[in-house]
Amino acid sequence: MRSSSYAPTAPARRSLRALLVLALTAATAAALPSAQAATPTPAPTSTSAAGTSALAAKPYMGWSSWSMQSSKYPGLNPDGDYSYLTEKNVLKQADALAAKLKPFGYEYVNLDAGWWMDQAWKPGFDEYGRQKADPGRFPRGMKPVADHIHGRGLKAGIYLPVGLQKEAYGEGKVPIWNAGDCTTADIVYGDLRTTNGWDSAYKLDFANPCAQKYVDSQARLFADWGYDFLKLDGVGPGSGKNGDQYDNVADVAAWNKAIAATGRPIHLEVSWSLDIGRIADWKKYSNGWRIDTDVECYCNTLVSWENSVDDRWDDLPGWTRHAGPGGWNDLDSLDVGNGEMDGLTKAERQSYATLWAIAKSPLYTGDDLTKLDSYGVSLLTNREVIALNQGSMPPARPITPSNPQQVWAAKNADGSYTVALFNLADKPAAVSADWAALGFTGKAAVRDLWNRENLGTYKDKVSQALPAHGSRLFTVTPRGAALATTGYEAEAAANTLSGNASVADCSACSGGKKVGNLYVGGKLRFNDVVVAKAGTYQVKVAYVSGDPRSVEVSANGNGSTSHKMPSTGDWGTAETVSVPVSLKAGTNTITFDSGSGYAPDIDRIDVPKSS
Amino acid sequence: MDKSRPAEPSRRRLLSLAATTGVATALGGLPAFTASAAPRRPTDAPLPKGSSRDQLWWQAPADEHSMIEQGLPIGNGRLGALASNDPGRELLLITDATMWTGGLNDTLDSDGQFPYGRDDFGSFTLLGRLTVDIPDHDLSAVSGYRRTLDLAQGVVSTSYVRSGVTYERQVFASRPDDAIVLHFTQSGGGRYTGSVTLDGTHGETVRGTSFGAAFPNGLRYGAAVKAYGTGGSVRVKDALIEFSECKDLTVVVSGGTNYAPDASAHYRDPSLDPEKLARTKVAAAAAHSAGTLLRTHVADHRALFEQMELSLGTSSDEQRSLDTWERIRARALDDTPDPELEASYLQFGRYLMISGSRGSLPLNLQGLWLDGNDPDWMGDYHTDINIQMNYWMADRAGLSQSFDALTDYCLAQFPSWKKLTQDLFNDPRNRYRNSTGKVAGWAVAFSTNIHGGSGWWWHPAGNAWLCASLWEHYEFTRSRSHLVRIYPLLKSACEFWEARLITTTLPGTSREVLIDDRDWSPEHGPQDAQGITYAQELVWALFDNYRTAARELKKDSAYAETIGGLQERLYLPKVSEKTGWLEEWMSPDSLGETTHRHLSPLIGLFPGDRIRPDDSTPPEIVKGATALLTARGMESFGWANAWRSLCWARLKNAENAYQLIINNLRPSFDGGNGSAPNLFDIYEVEKGRGIFQIDANFGTPAAMIEMLVYSRPGHLELLPALPDAWAKSGSVTGVGARGGFVVDLRWRDGRPTEARIRSVGGRTTTVAYGRSSRTVTLKSGGSVTLRDFAR
Repeated sequence: MRSSSYAPTAPARRSLRALLVLALTAATAAALPSAQAATPTPAPTSTSAAGTSALAAKPYMGWSSWSMQSSKYPGLNPDGDYSYLTEKNVLKQADALAAKLKPFGYEYVNLDAGWWMDQAWKPGFDEYGRQKADPGRFPRGMKPVADHIHGRGLKAGIYLPVGLQKEAYGEGKVPIWNAGDCTTADIVYGDLRTTNGWDSAYKLDFANPCAQKYVDSQARLFADWGYDFLKLDGVGPGSGKNGDQYDNVADVAAWNKAIAATGRPIHLEVSWSLDIGRIADWKKYSNGWRIDTDVECYCNTLVSWENSVDDRWDDLPGWTRHAGPGGWNDLDSLDVGNGEMDGLTKAERQSYATLWAIAKSPLYTGDDLTKLDSYGVSLLTNREVIALNQGSMPPARPITPSNPQQVWAAKNADGSYTVALFNLADKPAAVSADWAALGFTGKAAVRDLWNRENLGTYKDKVSQALPAHGSRLFTVTPRGAALATTGYEAEAAANTLSGNASVADCSACSGGKKVGNLYVGGKLRFNDVVVAKAGTYQVKVAYVSGDPRSVEVSANGNGSTSHKMPSTGDWGTAETVSVPVSLKAGTNTITFDSGSGYAPDIDRIDVPKSS
Repeated sequence: MDKSRPAEPSRRRLLSLAATTGVATALGGLPAFTASAAPRRPTDAPLPKGSSRDQLWWQAPADEHSMIEQGLPIGNGRLGALASNDPGRELLLITDATMWTGGLNDTLDSDGQFPYGRDDFGSFTLLGRLTVDIPDHDLSAVSGYRRTLDLAQGVVSTSYVRSGVTYERQVFASRPDDAIVLHFTQSGGGRYTGSVTLDGTHGETVRGTSFGAAFPNGLRYGAAVKAYGTGGSVRVKDALIEFSECKDLTVVVSGGTNYAPDASAHYRDPSLDPEKLARTKVAAAAAHSAGTLLRTHVADHRALFEQMELSLGTSSDEQRSLDTWERIRARALDDTPDPELEASYLQFGRYLMISGSRGSLPLNLQGLWLDGNDPDWMGDYHTDINIQMNYWMADRAGLSQSFDALTDYCLAQFPSWKKLTQDLFNDPRNRYRNSTGKVAGWAVAFSTNIHGGSGWWWHPAGNAWLCASLWEHYEFTRSRSHLVRIYPLLKSACEFWEARLITTTLPGTSREVLIDDRDWSPEHGPQDAQGITYAQELVWALFDNYRTAARELKKDSAYAETIGGLQERLYLPKVSEKTGWLEEWMSPDSLGETTHRHLSPLIGLFPGDRIRPDDSTPPEIVKGATALLTARGMESFGWANAWRSLCWARLKNAENAYQLIINNLRPSFDGGNGSAPNLFDIYEVEKGRGIFQIDANFGTPAAMIEMLVYSRPGHLELLPALPDAWAKSGSVTGVGARGGFVVDLRWRDGRPTEARIRSVGGRTTTVAYGRSSRTVTLKSGGSVTLRDFAR
């Protein structure tokens, strides 16, 4: 029995903004494209085949059009919603990226949704049911855009929703390019079941080889145009959808195959709010996956803190371990370049950039690169911070619970630690990183990455004042000794379990067991925690929790503190965080109480021998 | 302590204006923003060193949106501010106690009660905001941030490191210089570059370095700022002051209104131009170095602060290593006493009183501090517990001088209160009107403003409660001049009750008694109850105090006799046979909420002391009072906990009294009840919304002192309710005792080891500890030290 069976399933995140796009799409679905642009002639590519393994060796860096397209910031979209996306604007941003950010590693210029839509959001398709450049937005078609971008030494990205867009169906009679007799009727299900996050497309039926041919034909087009990156959007399970109808893993696999067949290395990014349960598929077929809904606020700024930058701190930890060369956790656009347009305080912008950097999320900004302010430039071009993101450091994860004041860290190859302090509260607070939570004692040298200065040597911990929604980013180099701890297994017979709490098997747990069923009054009490001296101890808690859950921790029957434990991503993975517990000299009890809710399963605790 | 002073406020003001040679301490009675005499400067002796015992400290600043929980209060008794201490953007939200909208508010609503809005009744509001922007010192760019509130020095200081340079700043509100001073320094070759901005908060236009404007109610106000530094440059540019590359920087700000505590002048001084006066004041202060201004201020502040010293025991090294907010949280989490923190909580209350109640209006619901122009309940004077609680501490905590603001206020409002009462109280729509048809004397509503007006509902017994507070100050100080001043208020309140009381025959008897007419036991139960215990007790005390006053002043003996006759016939509450509680409504039934916040029916236990846990009170009354207090429970919020604690202290239940203090020391999270990071008391009015009400910051310290010393004229008891947490050892000096004494006390292992009794006008008192008691007789000014206390 596992406590996870009692877990109420969190409702899948729905993206209201994404639904908004859907509404616009639906409203224009009946219209057929009238203007026909010249279809680029497919030409054999001279590019030698490159496996996807060469792609995404590091999180990609660049710019995306969607933040500005989706914003109601005055002047950005004068010709209607999403109208920012035009050749002129894209090339202007590409030029600015090349001039200002390329020296720091930014290289992708990614067009988002709408390149085949007119300003009324009416789509256009070629005679093979493939998206066709909107002549209003891209009068010269898509290839010259990529050429211009390449001419600046940059890479070009393009976008598609998953599935066959309804408007491309053409009563099933539209031929598929280079696919014999295949028509659109052959590539979808007979019942025209819809798919994707907006239900804007018919689901492709890969049982019929024509479907792969259709994807191949799209990939061919992009390769011929010279695109280096594709964002495949509305992909499920995810994008607010689940169930067979919205399972697009086959689509992503088809794209992976189709891209390989083109011989052109094209980075494949899938979006949005992907189902973590299918991470193996995303890893297998793509180079990155959006873990969350849009970061944009669809408001008068590009983003806002509450909607939805701040969600990432809770939503990311379960994904952390899945990031690595070839595929990264995509936190969405990094809109920190212009405070006024971003709609964020300086502190919020720094925290935003800090999390993206240490999470090893792709770093692509959605800002107007022609209007970066000096603080924005300093955030986007800090070489030490970029080096964390692009270097060998593993992605950081929380080493404390997800409380308003929290600490994330990663151990670097040289033995130092990358440590980020966050204050997610709406008022200033001091935040401390305890060396004990990092696993060592004594002194450590602290370098402040954002401010590019060495702060000196700190004993036991570093504490700093952080503004509301603020952060600090340090490299901590230990000068002390490894921390000596005493371990206590949750399943030990000496402990007291109450309520429904029970011991369960757990292959990922030390000793192969854990204590679960900590819900609605379930408690686990460690009875014989011995320390020599009274003090506050950083107790490392190993736990399993498929979603973020809170637990009340107390010692010796004193007042308890509620700690929100970050998700471990599933119910078969154990992670650790450290919680401060005030202990007396001698024997103590430490209690994990589910209170009125559901708590994580507890594997073990490790108590430092000294406070 | 017995300073003679002219009785008429308007005349006093003129005298003050004329006084140019007075010493600083003689300025204590200045009623408003006014020209002040040249301060007495201390000699160039070095600044007395601060002690960590008197320092609160934090590792994070406030920001613009968290000022009420994190801003640090400063004040010179009239002019106050909350300071953010943010390195990159110091923000001061500046207040003047007299900065009020509204007016006399003398047109009743259709229900015969007073309007209660920000335009008619009025509201306490901000005077202005001062920002000092130092763009390079963004909080995210500095390290080692720390700020300290030195309660003894009266100084807020901030330090941090930016690029290897240590920067420090001090902020204080000087009474002698009548200005707020900010002093920015550094060591290590740093420079300050940025700007100073003074803004109003009511849409005023700032011209250069000052602004002036008037409210629709005619109140004129203004403020001015001046900055000066060494090295670099400081220059005024449009509406801000730019400074560049300064080694250090001093910013001086002052301001005020033309409020005058004089009903006959409609509370205005038409001759006063506040903006001009503010400019004069900052110019005068800026003629001195920041060091001189600081020394002058510290000498002035310390003189008051040092009137009480307190130790409740020793805290652990680990407790001492924590900042104030960590300590508050640890105290609650570990449930381990932190005697030094608990003592500094009391001293923080004293700091607030020194900062917020000197020479101007009394402390309102938020003391002297605001974070906006819409304080809950207008930041007014609530007369059914809050203003009284604000001042329970003053005399007990060695700050008798701070009490004067309340006396001055009542006297200045008195003519208006009296006129409104006589014009409006018997309005036929007023459910609380006198059914006798007669009206006399004065009364107030639950809320009062500074314009002679009342707000919300009539509150008949409010006059008696205010008089009780004024009278207690006399008992503490034996100041004859104070007695002379308050006598008309007491007498006039008696006249009100003489006209109001009605006769009833107690059921089942032929005994006729006098009772209060239709009335509301504060904020609780039926709104038309006759003979509510609250009023009966307060009127009984009023009559008793009035008779003593008349006797001591040898005045109005015939009227005092009349009042004595009424007092004898006053009904006093009994214990309900149904509930076992002291009755609240002349009914055996409980007609309200068992755990209601108000303890109105226990007002005879505290602040009154008709009900005493000794032979002077029938045991069943003490038992009924105890039962009611028990039923009210231990889990309320700020002032309600403080009042409960005081009652338990009176009943000598040390652990209950202590627990309620600790309840108020709990950290407030998300607006929950308890102490904010800056120790302001937060009252959770609804889930997620807490508001600052300062009364608990004074009521809780009052309870702490009441646990150490109980007094009434002629009787003094040491350590009546000493909790285990403080028992090991401790000491306190300067405790005011009713009867005209000041007590210094030391204890060890729960027993007094030494008590020094000083007379400030008192003659004879018993001094008791446990069952033992001795009698002390002193001359005024004399003292005696007692030892060898047996239980």
